[in-house]
Amino acid sequence: MSDLDEFKATYFDECSELLLELEEQFTAIEEGDRDTERMNAVFRAIHSIKGGAGAFGFDKLVEFAHSFETLLDFVRDGRVELTDEVVTLCIRSIDLVADFVGAAQEGEDLSPDFGAEELARFKFLSGEEDETMEEFDIDFTPVMVAVGDDEPIVSDELNSSAEEAGTESDSFEEPPMQDGERYWKIVFTPHYELYERANDPLLLFRELSALGETKIVASITELPELQKFDPFGVYCSWVIELHSSEVKQESIEEVFEFVEGDCELEISRVMADADNDLEPVNLEQANLEQANLEQANLEQANLGQKENIPTKEASETNAENSQSADADLEADEGLSLADLAASIEPAPAPKPEKSKPVVAKVKTPETKAATVQSIRVDLEKVDRVVNMVGELVITQSMLTQQMDDQLRARYQEMVRGVEVLAQTTRGLQDAVMAIRAQPVKSVFSRMPRLVRELASKTGKSIRLEMVGEHTEIDKTIIEQLSDPLTHMIRNSADHGVEIPETRLAAGKPEQGVIKISAEQAGGNIIIAVEDDGAGINRPKVLELARERDVVGPDQQLTDEQIDELVFAPGFSTASAVSDISGRGVGMDVVISNIKKIGGSVHVRSTPGQGTKMLLRLPLTLAVLDVMLVEVGTGPYVIPLSSIVETVLCEKAEFGYAPSGRRVLQIRGEYVRVIDLVERFEMEVNLEEHRRYVVLCEGEGNSKVALIVDKIIGQQQVVIKSLEENFKRIGGIAGGTILGDGNVALIVDVQGLKNTPEQKSAA
Amino acid sequence: MESVEQRNNSDLEHDIASGNSMQLIAFMIGEQVYGVEITTVREIRAWDGATPLPNTQEFVRGVINLRGTIVPIFDLRARFGDGITNTTKNHVVVVMSVGEKWVGVLVDAVSDILTISKKDIHKVPEGDNMDSELLNGIITHDNKMVGLIDLDAIVSRVKTEGK
Repeated sequence: MSDLDEFKATYFDECSELLLELEEQFTAIEEGDRDTERMNAVFRAIHSIKGGAGAFGFDKLVEFAHSFETLLDFVRDGRVELTDEVVTLCIRSIDLVADFVGAAQEGEDLSPDFGAEELARFKFLSGEEDETMEEFDIDFTPVMVAVGDDEPIVSDELNSSAEEAGTESDSFEEPPMQDGERYWKIVFTPHYELYERANDPLLLFRELSALGETKIVASITELPELQKFDPFGVYCSWVIELHSSEVKQESIEEVFEFVEGDCELEISRVMADADNDLEPVNLEQANLEQANLEQANLEQANLGQKENIPTKEASETNAENSQSADADLEADEGLSLADLAASIEPAPAPKPEKSKPVVAKVKTPETKAATVQSIRVDLEKVDRVVNMVGELVITQSMLTQQMDDQLRARYQEMVRGVEVLAQTTRGLQDAVMAIRAQPVKSVFSRMPRLVRELASKTGKSIRLEMVGEHTEIDKTIIEQLSDPLTHMIRNSADHGVEIPETRLAAGKPEQGVIKISAEQAGGNIIIAVEDDGAGINRPKVLELARERDVVGPDQQLTDEQIDELVFAPGFSTASAVSDISGRGVGMDVVISNIKKIGGSVHVRSTPGQGTKMLLRLPLTLAVLDVMLVEVGTGPYVIPLSSIVETVLCEKAEFGYAPSGRRVLQIRGEYVRVIDLVERFEMEVNLEEHRRYVVLCEGEGNSKVALIVDKIIGQQQVVIKSLEENFKRIGGIAGGTILGDGNVALIVDVQGLKNTPEQKSAA
Repeated sequence: MESVEQRNNSDLEHDIASGNSMQLIAFMIGEQVYGVEITTVREIRAWDGATPLPNTQEFVRGVINLRGTIVPIFDLRARFGDGITNTTKNHVVVVMSVGEKWVGVLVDAVSDILTISKKDIHKVPEGDNMDSELLNGIITHDNKMVGLIDLDAIVSRVKTEGK
């Protein structure tokens, strides 16, 4: 993968996050929350998407995002009123941006007039004819600096930047500089390696300025003549004054902790009037961002934009103080400094008689935006940790089992140690599982768009309500959740919610409601999709089921059983096959996907009032709840999620099919029997009546009865692959390691069901 | 005598480096000595039982837990058609890597580490399929025949659906 591809991949990752954020913000805005911070967040997100798109040359996306952004900007400063119409346009536009991003990712071309209508609306609303796109030209624009012979220079623009910063600079004051005041002097000279490791001095300065008032002076005396200029060379160093009475040297060192070794750093405590080097000062004031900008740009010139990845920068700006977002956004991307400078009215800056170092005074930001710190980690690495912790848990329980009373009496200290170890291990396991856990929001937030699309396609009016989207589940489960949830919502929108006329006739509000909710219940997560539609049409379902031989002609079903039929493969009650659902695939996909991840699906319906579908999911896939049984001489485990009930063989009623095969008769049903000892070709060494029947449920509610020798108990296990070092075995889904260190095999219920009956073993 | 051996050893080490020699782990099945190249051996551990795998041939003794990984155990005696090993605590499992996979081989005992010269490897006499299928070659050491095990052959041909 080339560097560019990697950047692109990062960009698309970020886009999907930003799109989710947009969706979320607009959902709140739509509900009437017109907080300005929300508009700012929206603006930043669109801007970040645009910035990256520009860098990668996704022109269509840039154009669209730009117009969108212009409108948002107008909304933000009140020039355009945020009416419902505008909100609807914005929400529609987010979907379009998502399509643009998707097309760019897939390298597809959208039709040339894709989004043209919205584009025209933007322009109409923002009263803009056809703004040129100059501003987003990412061609490298050289920064003009007057290079003296060997003297440092002052950038004239600083003055003007202060002006541009407007109100903010008003609040700046000279730091109190009483005689004899002591301050920290930090001389920071980065080495090439610092940049190579993608560190950015700007970030360090920001962090420093959080400690107290800083005055940062860039020394560019080392800057060579242009011919000798190495774009990757390092020519800049900084002298920083930090005015704060309580800051300790350690805190300053901490700021530079991560660049240790990649720079020269001198930290000293000096008296205010004792230092001539820094005797400044008649220096231009500017806010932190503006000043550092200049420095950042100098570096950028040094580095030839090597470190400057627009998307990265853009995302940084998200965390920034929103007040200065406007200016930073343009500048931080390093795309348009020249434009920025040009747009600033040049202030009558007194020509410095003598060149002086570039200096900026910085006031500690008053409100530090609360930032959530996070890192991106390869899932595989997390899984490795999860696995190791799984082992640790097993080893620990093995140790605990070894301890008898004699041992406890003799080695009290050791026993105590083992007990602490047990506690720590459990804590560690929880913590590791929490790393994999993600809020279901990431799936839920895709649904509003789906509902909007469904509503417009079916001509129904549907409102989506979401509850408990912060509930966390294992990431793997979340990934598996998207399809089933989509199908369920489609089903609710298509078959559940009625058309407005019918609803009104039934005395219901015109607008139908689909509610999705998530909650934790014990060791499970329950996800419900509920609609206030007509409910399942039971007579029709039954009729269809009989027609298609899903149900025998004289089989009597309870209401619940009829409801469950909607999950049968190839089943649809929609009289017309619609674009959305009704092709007969879908609901059976729900059940098979959910079973695959160890969950279950239930449906409850009240005619005329609506349908509620419930997904019961395990909290994590790394640990499986199982029943430990014995078959022949080996330990086997059966996933608890597929077990319906267990019966002692002598209490069970068996019948014989004409082929001589045994069938289990239970609650009016006849269920195929598989004796695991026979199936696995082992010797039966127990009397028949003392064995157990484990009634299991496979895909599509079909059951199978497994006969095992002994039921040992329930426990949680970590799933291990058999194929890693061996190969797949029919009827076995994998292995697991028990508390005593032995391997137990996991019974593959579905696999057993699918294999034809074997001749009973000799 | 000792000095002669030492010189031989250093010669052999040189040969190993140059690719002319190799070191084997030698193990016993009954009276017969077999060897595998030492670089494939990951671990040697005492037999401590295995969980039997259903629907496999008898030479697949089952699987064990090797620090969290499930590793299959092959009974070499059974693989050679001499019936399954009557295991005791003195039996040994040699864990080796075959390609990407790790497998364990159940043997009676590990006897020695041998350094051999590659040019001393003889072809397996034709005539018996089992021999030529499972052995890469034969060498003589201390007047005893040592069969070089072909790991790939041992592991392949495992059936997992009935017999």
